[in-house]
Amino acid sequence: MKLPEYLHKMRGTTRGSPPRVSNEEILWSWIGAFAGIAIVAWVNRLFFEGTDLTMMIGSFGATAVLVYGAVRSPLAQPRNMVGGHIISAFIGVACWKLFHQFPWLAEAAAVATAIAVMHLTRTLHPPGGATALIAVIGSPDIHKLGFWYVLMPATLGPLILLLVALLVNNIPASRRYPEIWF
Amino acid sequence: MTDKQNRAQASEPAAEAALEMELTDADILDAMQHIPGYLDISTEDFRTIYHLSHRHATERLFGNTRAENLMRTGITPLQPEMTLDAAAVALVAAGSRALPVVDAGGCVTGILTENDFLRQLEVASLPALLLAMQENTSDLNPRLHAITVRQAMTVPVVTIGRQAGFMQIIGAFHQHAGRSLPVVDEGGRFLGMLLRKDFLHTYHLENLL
Repeated sequence: MKLPEYLHKMRGTTRGSPPRVSNEEILWSWIGAFAGIAIVAWVNRLFFEGTDLTMMIGSFGATAVLVYGAVRSPLAQPRNMVGGHIISAFIGVACWKLFHQFPWLAEAAAVATAIAVMHLTRTLHPPGGATALIAVIGSPDIHKLGFWYVLMPATLGPLILLLVALLVNNIPASRRYPEIWF
Repeated sequence: MTDKQNRAQASEPAAEAALEMELTDADILDAMQHIPGYLDISTEDFRTIYHLSHRHATERLFGNTRAENLMRTGITPLQPEMTLDAAAVALVAAGSRALPVVDAGGCVTGILTENDFLRQLEVASLPALLLAMQENTSDLNPRLHAITVRQAMTVPVVTIGRQAGFMQIIGAFHQHAGRSLPVVDEGGRFLGMLLRKDFLHTYHLENLL
């Protein structure tokens, strides 16, 4: 590829960004995200406070953007959402165990491998990258979980968010969820 | 394959463009505004999907199209040495506005159309011919006796191969203004006539060509 052609690609293809969604959409995104994250937080507080287990990780915020804010996205469908977190969590924990002497390597390998394996398994879910990274950079508590991290929070959390998405996203006439289960 | 068939194939992109409308960003953004919820697709990606889907659908709908299945057969072509008055009799008998001209080997060498008659009579259109006849009838008949089909026919002729598919047929019709195409075999020999109206009627494409 020639240099001008290469540079030209950086100009983008499109004038004008996609349209803003309606106020109703914004409200339903807010309600879904509020309910989903609140329930995960309450489950964490009621059942796991004072234990070694944790229920809430940062990547759930990103998942909420997709499953409550971009309901139609292929990235937000159940296979991607649950599968992406589980696979990425497993890879994150494995990278930590293998490479924890070299944190930079463990971090980079976790995220990059998570993306690759999510692609391979058709479960690409952007928050999965965060789930893998958190397994490596997470607190000592997270590290102590070992492979329990895959189940708790990385499977249970997305399942709760999925349940809320099914209940909330199908209330408004303008929304339906999911587009595809598997 | 003859040169003429190659030319028909060369214009396939033009045919594709005629079948498929180019969507602007504004078209796509407007459509996105009609769909509630956030769509995480760029207009460029949408356009790419649209083009590829359209091509796939065209292939699905029209992929089995072959010129030889749509053509009219049993048509007696003209010979180059016939005179125009004999050719006129043949055209009337066939109920056609144009007939192909074939050589001794059966190969299509030209096509004789209504317009070729008008040109030989040195008038631009049928009404002009009527006017000319009102003013001076004596001049017309002798000319038709004296001129051969070879002299009057349209060359080169756009033909289409028997195996030609949907896009090739559209491309060929785009290449000339005529209403019909001679269908030829691999050796360029005449098989039948593909009429524009038959083709359009088969695929409900009256608004396309």
